[in-house]
Amino acid sequence: MDVEVRVFGGLESLIPGARFGQGIPLEVQEGCSVGLLLNRLAIPREKVFTMLVNGCHVTADAILKEGDRISLFPAIGGG
Amino acid sequence: MGKILRVNMSDRVARLEELPEKYSLLGGRALTSQIVFDEVPPDCNPLGPFNKLVIAPGLLSGTTAPSSGRLSVGGKSPLTGGIKEANAGGVSSQKLASLGIKAVIIEGRPSTDDWYLVKVSAAGADLIPANDLAGKGTYEVTAVLLERYGKEVGVITIGPAGEMLMATAGVTNNDNEGNSSRYAGRGGLGAVMGSKHVKAIVVDTGEHFGARVKDVEQFRAAARKFTECLRKHPITGSGLAAYGTDILMNIVNEVGALPTRNFHSGHFDQAREVSGEKLAEVAVARGGKATHSCMPGCVMHCSNIYPMPDGKVCAPIEYETAWALGPNLENANLDIVAKLNYICNDVGLDTIETGCALGVLMEAGVLPFGDGEAAVKALEEVEKATPLGRIIGSGSVCAGKVFGITHVPAAKGQGMPGYDPRACKGNGVTYATSPMGADHTAGYAVTANILRSGGYVDPLKPDGQVELSRNLQIATAAIDSAGLCLFVAFAVLDDPEALPAIIAMLNAQYGLQMTAEDVTKLGQQVLRTEREFNRLAGFTGADDSLPEFFVLEEFPPHNTRFDIDAKELSQVFNF
Repeated sequence: MDVEVRVFGGLESLIPGARFGQGIPLEVQEGCSVGLLLNRLAIPREKVFTMLVNGCHVTADAILKEGDRISLFPAIGGG
Repeated sequence: MGKILRVNMSDRVARLEELPEKYSLLGGRALTSQIVFDEVPPDCNPLGPFNKLVIAPGLLSGTTAPSSGRLSVGGKSPLTGGIKEANAGGVSSQKLASLGIKAVIIEGRPSTDDWYLVKVSAAGADLIPANDLAGKGTYEVTAVLLERYGKEVGVITIGPAGEMLMATAGVTNNDNEGNSSRYAGRGGLGAVMGSKHVKAIVVDTGEHFGARVKDVEQFRAAARKFTECLRKHPITGSGLAAYGTDILMNIVNEVGALPTRNFHSGHFDQAREVSGEKLAEVAVARGGKATHSCMPGCVMHCSNIYPMPDGKVCAPIEYETAWALGPNLENANLDIVAKLNYICNDVGLDTIETGCALGVLMEAGVLPFGDGEAAVKALEEVEKATPLGRIIGSGSVCAGKVFGITHVPAAKGQGMPGYDPRACKGNGVTYATSPMGADHTAGYAVTANILRSGGYVDPLKPDGQVELSRNLQIATAAIDSAGLCLFVAFAVLDDPEALPAIIAMLNAQYGLQMTAEDVTKLGQQVLRTEREFNRLAGFTGADDSLPEFFVLEEFPPHNTRFDIDAKELSQVFNF
């Protein structure tokens, strides 16, 4: 199934050719979790603080569905 | 211990007086709010002779505590009609504290149209005629005064907007590089300063760390500990330094809370074009800085220096400004954001209120959404005091009234910051209930709602938001009184050693034995004082609310409404 991943806040430097905020289309297996996706992208788990699927916070064991939009961030603050 | 600089503009006398004993354990917001409560009649005209402008460094300001140089500015707000405290970084707080000055009070009103500046140094205080500065932008005023009195001075000033008594006018002071861009922006306090015909306050000392500390050894140990807490937390230690506050743009957009097109939706497709990642890229490529401190002794370095195509720099561009002048207007051009930001800094306007006002004007069809050049042209009218310029300078509620727009994002008359209450419900509670009006820093629920800092509270559900906002409003009132940058809260929320280190610094500095409970009590007391002032000024429970459309209209992409009712909101201050 097809999903789309976006990375931000410097995580883009971990994926060759990636730009922050640009959708990366990926084909994943049924039952793929967000955590598995991180492995697939070779992003170390400890570098990711926030994982969103379709704009909602999830944990690494969340299972992906067709068409999901995944957004990944390091620890972020501001005001 | 310490002095009050009292400037009476009716008599045109500036004098130093002893700080009353009852104020000896107050600073920053606690002190400005208490003095406003004690000395300003709550029913006075904010632009009349009975309002006062109160400026105070925080309890820790002027010491070597990291990131402790915030300056509080207070008074009755011409925008909300209630009590107001706005705070800024820059150099002036630490300089005032180093001179032993705990508060500056500007009162009365001159009978002529002449302008003045106040100059304070170790030698005393003077009121000096300053008609030559009237009408000038803040950048020029700051440059002139740094030239005239030396590069070491702090310049607290207002732009033409404040002189013209516009309710969106802020009070600025300079950073170490002389940029007049560190704003106590919200609530029109610049107009209060303007109503008293004070164009600038010059704080003449090269000292930043000269405040008296009772137990130097204990203080040093506690400050070292607190610095360590800030350095090891990922947000305060490296996150803020890497991209600044505009790093929020993408995450707020991805969670669907980014107010777009005057608060009609929570997602802007081009948000990344005005994000912190983009800002850092462009700033560095043009020889600016993605990492910068607004005050001496800051360890978080969240500021930036953004070179503009015309050769000037905008330092900083913050998230709130990039959002208000970006996605809120459907503008995806960062150079336009910088230009609008620079004009606001120079003319003396709060960027959040300006963005909200421009958004309302765009909804009214006065300007096209997404037309950056048209927004620049409109903003340039403020200084010229054309009718449209004056409308912009009067804020979003005024703009809505004049042009018949009900979709106005404001609470207690103040324009809303960059998180829609329907997708960030904790912030919605803060906007509705804070004595400050729609103020995000007053109780920054974004921490738990969006950033998962200090826990997690689902931003799309009503559950837990009242408690979240309450706790944050109390904690923030205390931090605002210490002179600490609010961003230390990220470390305080997650690291159990951080708050004790702050308390240890306060105890060592003032010879106290405060506990965490005392800090909570301080925050609660500040809020009680502010709410009581507002009650006497005519506010009721009905004012602790949001505009109807937030309750009635579903907000895409999550299609939620603000569903925390008046009864629940009335529980926020049940202490």
